[in-house]
Amino acid sequence: MTTTTEAPAAADASAGAPRSSRSWRRVWTGAGAIALALVVWEIAALVIGDAVTLPTVTETARTLAKYLGKPYPEVQGKTLVADALISTGRILAGFLLGTAAGLALGASMAGVRVIRELADPLIAIMRPLPPIAFIPLLVVWFGIGETSKIALIFFGVLPVVTVATLGALDAVPPDLLNASRSLGASQVRTMLHVRLRAAVPGVITGMRIAMGGAWTAIIAAEMIAATGGVGYLILQAGNYLQTPLIFSGIAEIAVLGFAFDGLLRLLLRLADPTVRR
Amino acid sequence: MSAIETRTATAEPAVDEPAGVRLRDVRKTFSRRRRPGRPALDGVTLDVRPGEFLCLLGPSGCGKSTLLNIVAGFTEADSGEVLVGGRPVTGPGHDRGVLFQTPNLFPWLTTWQNVLYGPKARGALTPRVREEAERLLETVGLADARDAYPHELSGGMRHRAAFARVLVNRPGVLLMDEPFGALDAITRAAMQRFLLELWQKHRTTIVFVTHDVEEAALLGDRVCVLSAPPAGTKDVIDIELPRPRAYEDTETLAFVNAKRRIREVLER
Repeated sequence: MTTTTEAPAAADASAGAPRSSRSWRRVWTGAGAIALALVVWEIAALVIGDAVTLPTVTETARTLAKYLGKPYPEVQGKTLVADALISTGRILAGFLLGTAAGLALGASMAGVRVIRELADPLIAIMRPLPPIAFIPLLVVWFGIGETSKIALIFFGVLPVVTVATLGALDAVPPDLLNASRSLGASQVRTMLHVRLRAAVPGVITGMRIAMGGAWTAIIAAEMIAATGGVGYLILQAGNYLQTPLIFSGIAEIAVLGFAFDGLLRLLLRLADPTVRR
Repeated sequence: MSAIETRTATAEPAVDEPAGVRLRDVRKTFSRRRRPGRPALDGVTLDVRPGEFLCLLGPSGCGKSTLLNIVAGFTEADSGEVLVGGRPVTGPGHDRGVLFQTPNLFPWLTTWQNVLYGPKARGALTPRVREEAERLLETVGLADARDAYPHELSGGMRHRAAFARVLVNRPGVLLMDEPFGALDAITRAAMQRFLLELWQKHRTTIVFVTHDVEEAALLGDRVCVLSAPPAGTKDVIDIELPRPRAYEDTETLAFVNAKRRIREVLER
């Protein structure tokens, strides 16, 4: 039968463990691009010759390494690690709460018509609003402590995850549920093991988008009203014209953002075999 | 008392033995909110004998899929009698295996996990079922692809995996809704050949929905022609081609005659 010719290809693809040479090539090309950007930066810094306008890569790296574990004197402060931990804590708290609420709201909108009709216009109004517009309001309500930051992330993440969850649940083909039912699965099992399961990749994609927004919001909030965090560090460094420290803070955000997105991408790979290469 | 009876009726698997299907004056109207509905089925009466291969043939949108969904238990008929294996249909159940136009495999499960989904969901996963599943994968030619995910399989392989997933439940009836309609002509011919071979080995009752006259004549013992919407049974034609049939039979005179008779009923 036709199988004999098709089977080896499938078996090979399903093994999947060793990365193909093509994907390694992609990794190296990407690393090369970053290296090239650093070289351009270094040359530009040397040409300009002014550390306040543009410090060299080496000087930035030295500042970053030095103050990772040592408080930076002029910026009244904390270590780079401490600021990063403060921001990360806020992001995690707001993101987890917002994701949980978004999942619950999206799922109930998908399941109950009244909730959908009630929540739809609210989400539609809320979604295009930039969360940073609410910073002053949240400060008035909750002060400049942690609550206002976490609330900001929460309200930024909530609509994105809600819409992603709703969309993913709506997109599950009805026949996939019928298939499960006619194979003997109960209604509850079909709901949990097929409808919710089939929506997981879409939800994770929504979480990735929300995570990007969360970093934007938290840095802005920390610049406006905070006494710690990477945003506060960058603002203070700017006030003291400590450009290498600004770049150090930006580098921290880049690394953390990349790490969180990497975690979510890993989660997506676990949940969705079609994205595994 | 009657509630308990219906519960046991849906819970008990009607396995192994081919089951008959009995439809009496089945009607269905789809109502759009507060507007007068569009009748889809206008009194369909039909008997499918146990172990028979029956093709439901009709123009697109004539309600053949609706009829199949009613037998499968996905939609409820407005009135009429729907019996499978002598019991009224009250909802979906694994005594009726359904094959859709798309294979509808669960994309997050491997072929093997897909095949075992039904028994696992019912808490009926015994070593004997595993052996059966292994044998079925062998039969449908997917023994080498048991750990592959659906997206790694070709179109034909996905359909064969869907067959194995349904057959492991040992359904009394197979309900097929244009299962090969979305395949290319070559794969489609291969799948028809595969189905003929499979059915000649495992004799179950099959209700096969199609809009392809040639497919109906090749596969069916009888072809039930439905009229344009709202559908009723127009005529039931016996296809007197000898079994076992093979794809090559499409070139015989008897086959051409059978096709002509179906076409005459369709155009009536």
